[in-house]
Amino acid sequence: MALAYSLPSNLAPSTVQNTASFLRIIALAFISGAAIASRLFAVINFESVIHEFDPWFNYRATKVLASQGFYEFWNWFDPTAWYPLGRVVGGTIYPGLMATSGVIYNILHALNLPVDIRNVCVLLAPGFSALTAWATYMFTKELKDESAGLLAAAFIGIVPGYISRSVAGSYDNEAIAIFLLMFTFYSWIKALKTGSAFFGTIAALFYFYMVAAWGGYAFITNMIPLHALVLILMGRFSSRLYVAYSSWYAIGTLASMQVPFVGFQPVRTSEHMAALGVFGLLQIVSFAYLVKAHVSSKQFQTLLFVSVVTIGILGTLGIVGLTYKGYIAPWTGRFYSLWDTGYAKKYIPIIASVSEHQPTAWPSFFMDLQFLVFLFPVGVVLCFRELRDEHVFVIIYALVGTYFAGVMVRLMLTLTPCVCVAAAVALSTLLDTYIDPRMPDTTDTPAPDTDRVSVAGATTSEGTPKKTKKDKTPAAEVTQKASINDFATGFEVLGSILEKDKPPRVAGLDSRIVVVGVALYLLVFFVQHCTWVTSYAYSSPSVVLASRNQDGSQHIIDDFREAYYWLRQNTREDAVVMSWWDYGYQISGMADRPTLVDNNTWNNTHIATVGKAMSSTEEVAYPILRKHDVEYVLIIFGGLMGYSGDDINKFLWMVRIAQGVWPDEIQEPNYFTPAGEYRVDAQASQTMKDCLMYKMSYYRFSNLFGGSTPVDRVRNQHLPTTGPTLDYLEEAFTSENWLVRIYQVKKEDSLGRDLKSANAFVEGKKRKRAKPPVRRKAIVASS
Amino acid sequence: MLSLYLILAAFVGLLQAKSSTGDSILVILDNKLNRSDYSLFFDGLEGQGYSLTFRAPGDTTPAIKEHDTPNFDHVIVFAPHTKSFSPDVTPQSLVSSLGKGTNLLLALSQKQNLVNSLASEFSLILPPPQTPLVSHFPAREEPATVIPITPQPNVIVDPDLPPIWFSGIPVAPGNNPLLFPILRAPAESFASDATVDSGADSVLEAADRGGEGLWAGSSSSLITGFQTRNGARATWVGGVELFSDDFAKKHTLGGKKSGNAQLSKDVAAWTFQENLVLRIDSVSHHKLGGSETPEVYTTNDQIVYIAHISKYDPATSSWVPYSGISDLQLEFTMLDPHVRTSLSPVPDTPGEYSVTFRAPDRHGVFKFVIDYRRKGWSTLQSSTTVPVVPPRHDGYPRFLSAAWPYYTGAISTSIGFLLFSLLWLAGGEDKAKTKKE
Repeated sequence: MALAYSLPSNLAPSTVQNTASFLRIIALAFISGAAIASRLFAVINFESVIHEFDPWFNYRATKVLASQGFYEFWNWFDPTAWYPLGRVVGGTIYPGLMATSGVIYNILHALNLPVDIRNVCVLLAPGFSALTAWATYMFTKELKDESAGLLAAAFIGIVPGYISRSVAGSYDNEAIAIFLLMFTFYSWIKALKTGSAFFGTIAALFYFYMVAAWGGYAFITNMIPLHALVLILMGRFSSRLYVAYSSWYAIGTLASMQVPFVGFQPVRTSEHMAALGVFGLLQIVSFAYLVKAHVSSKQFQTLLFVSVVTIGILGTLGIVGLTYKGYIAPWTGRFYSLWDTGYAKKYIPIIASVSEHQPTAWPSFFMDLQFLVFLFPVGVVLCFRELRDEHVFVIIYALVGTYFAGVMVRLMLTLTPCVCVAAAVALSTLLDTYIDPRMPDTTDTPAPDTDRVSVAGATTSEGTPKKTKKDKTPAAEVTQKASINDFATGFEVLGSILEKDKPPRVAGLDSRIVVVGVALYLLVFFVQHCTWVTSYAYSSPSVVLASRNQDGSQHIIDDFREAYYWLRQNTREDAVVMSWWDYGYQISGMADRPTLVDNNTWNNTHIATVGKAMSSTEEVAYPILRKHDVEYVLIIFGGLMGYSGDDINKFLWMVRIAQGVWPDEIQEPNYFTPAGEYRVDAQASQTMKDCLMYKMSYYRFSNLFGGSTPVDRVRNQHLPTTGPTLDYLEEAFTSENWLVRIYQVKKEDSLGRDLKSANAFVEGKKRKRAKPPVRRKAIVASS
Repeated sequence: MLSLYLILAAFVGLLQAKSSTGDSILVILDNKLNRSDYSLFFDGLEGQGYSLTFRAPGDTTPAIKEHDTPNFDHVIVFAPHTKSFSPDVTPQSLVSSLGKGTNLLLALSQKQNLVNSLASEFSLILPPPQTPLVSHFPAREEPATVIPITPQPNVIVDPDLPPIWFSGIPVAPGNNPLLFPILRAPAESFASDATVDSGADSVLEAADRGGEGLWAGSSSSLITGFQTRNGARATWVGGVELFSDDFAKKHTLGGKKSGNAQLSKDVAAWTFQENLVLRIDSVSHHKLGGSETPEVYTTNDQIVYIAHISKYDPATSSWVPYSGISDLQLEFTMLDPHVRTSLSPVPDTPGEYSVTFRAPDRHGVFKFVIDYRRKGWSTLQSSTTVPVVPPRHDGYPRFLSAAWPYYTGAISTSIGFLLFSLLWLAGGEDKAKTKKE
């Protein structure tokens, strides 16, 4: 056989194998290092600080766990959150993340390494990203081979789509959840392949860990049943499937019910019914197979088939009936919003108001995945080539994941591993083909599959011909059509790859060098892109902002922490702070003050109350503030600095949420100009100008401009030179760049007047003569 | 000898009856008024132990307040004829010192002046200028503006107070709950022009503009008490003559001595925080059966709440435990009161009020709230925040009798599985063989 280039022939196969596995370990170690290192931009550019919003709560909870132990954490009732309702923290969180950090913290301390709990929290996500790379390697290895696994590990290690949620300091559930997701899927695939109850149990245990760690566990809860269902429909029911699914479902469900936040949901909510239904279906199908094996009568088999279908339909009807009766909770709003992207905006504005719940914009696919976007479909198509059970899994995952990623920005995260795996399969197949030194045979005898040796010395796919034999027929039919021979050489090869019977061979060295060179160029460019995106887009803690000075040096804007520490130092310990819910976790984490609402948006009415206070006049808002014992109101104002994520820009959501609860008092159209514009300048509607949020934002703003027209730099509008006045609140603190403004709620007037006239009195304004009170009721003659 | 001392001490104590908030009084006295004409009132105050500082409205020293701190504990403004006051006496300065705990005794004027213009801030509605209270009943020698009044008794006015003489203007009290009429006008009196009734046009006109609301009849008030939210007191008197020696010595129509001296003393005593002054000394709460105050309560706990209340005793200038409140209430509030119960005095412990109640079956941050407001009495307010948490993970009953079907199910399944396994293991040989065959 002709070779394109010579291979050393004096190496023993065992040497090749040992070297290869050694190199694999080295490569994995480097991949882990790269995954961790690229996530440290945030620490180097800024400091070791907890990022954003939710992580602040996780961090606070972890501190409680580390200092008071697990049982205190379990029973933790936080009286400072959702004042005065309080929050049963132990029963309303996924404790997996905190427990993980707590365990790491305790282990380190047991080893006499006095690491600060904050650093454990900050560095947890990078650490787990290394584990994710390993889990992805294992998963892809099951799918194709080790070299594809290494590629997938490298991809997942540095792909921005995953980094965006796992940089150092981004201490959120997703930090560990993606590892758990991948490892659960790996165990499931493994269990399915081997029919091993052991791996099924491993999958169940990691599923439990996942349930304890992230609300996105529902993805696994539905992915695995969907896979099982598709396999049954494809006629691939086997005892392996039965064992793997039953052990996973039974143990996993029981274990997941031990998490207090989940409780009885697995048997009582629609989200979990698919898993239960497939479990029941599997029992019926396996029973049918059992009976079928023992009974030969054709009529009886038909009867059996009919009865199985009837039982299945009855079961489904039963579930539907129970849902109607209310025993099973119907789908939640969050679920509906996955199918109808306009649903949330219409019915649950609180979900739609979160920016990460918005539909994904096209550029962000490229930003997050770069050239993997193009390799991804190729990888999926390649999965059809072999179409073993695990390939079916990847295909389903790809379909479902792509849809969800298109619907919601944050679900890009769940798609990313699948993209990495599929892209790695595609790229690795390409490299296999082009690096394989064998030239196409002139004679047309097909070489046996196992002869193919990749350059790393790895043998090709584990799937033995025996197992896959019976699956080939449908797969070949599908893929036959896909092969189009009219394309240029590269595609021609890809096309021929799809035809299994004809192993692809490439002639000559030049085309090999060109294709491999281009692939390498893409890979290098991918690394460049990832590094750039990570360092510029995804490493900002958002607690600390950075801007560039005119000479290009970095200027740190630290208004948030300035304001939160002001609260911490200057207010009473039990002074309630009202703000929009975005800042709740940060206030409780950094300022340590009670808040009305926070990022755990469990009580829509309470949030609407805050929205109403913000969008009403002072007179209406004041009783609400007093009733909730609010002493300070904190708002974010970006008009001076040009920070677009400020409260005025979020204000319409406050109005919408408040309108949802008080449609008579708050109406969104009132906040627009007659022309339907959202303005803050002189043309703004009167309702807008009178509302508390507007007044607090622009209070004394015009003083900054010394008589000239004030300009709001976010909305690029000119404000009136005389700003609004406040009677019921007084300014307590404004940060350096006016980003955070804190107002103090005045006490009731000691003479029982309303504060507006009390203020007018202090300023020396004459009040109108009051009319004597009418003591007699007018007698209305009734006719 | 000892008893003599005691009597002496008691006498001195009686003499030294003093305010609970201090004994320095600034009197801003009109230039046209003589101190000697009000000697009974002022000497009475001095005799009680107050130190009086007199000052003309135009003087600049001593100032009402310096560096935002009041210089005096109480201020009397008897300046009905003064048009212009010195710059430190403004409505704003009077209100702000009231906010800092200074008590005010203010005499209204028939003319428009500073005190009158301040009255509207206290929700008092004054008649037009130059329209004093007039009453033609009962027939008497005195002019129609000098009116004998038989006071209606209330917490300040003694039931057996003789009729008093009054001359001045009535006010219509507004809807402010902090207001409290001490002396009401007689039913047949009304505000009108003093000399000729024809000038009553202005009153009618004012009444027309007001829709309804003649300053007439017993709805208008002559002495009006006002208690601010921070506990300071201000009293508005319709005419300064009420305190004069003339009226005090003047005999009533029945020939008895008038009650003016007594009433002015009582009004001053109330205004200067001698009478009807209550305070909450301490509040505490704990679980029934315990004595420590816990940081949190669990839902459905039995909670004991105790408050200690004392009343100021001007005779001894001291606070004494007071058990006389029978309608005190305690609220256990989270946004709305979840429990509202009467907080009744404990029989044998003076000044102690206690109640035991079950915490609601609702977790959250609750407040123990006492908010006791009665006309004339000082307000009692107390708010203590305490979280009520759900039971701990091991705080629930371990076994529920209602769950027996499930326990039975679990146990029977376990036993069944065990038996099945045993039978399978014991008798499985044959089956295995048959299968192989």
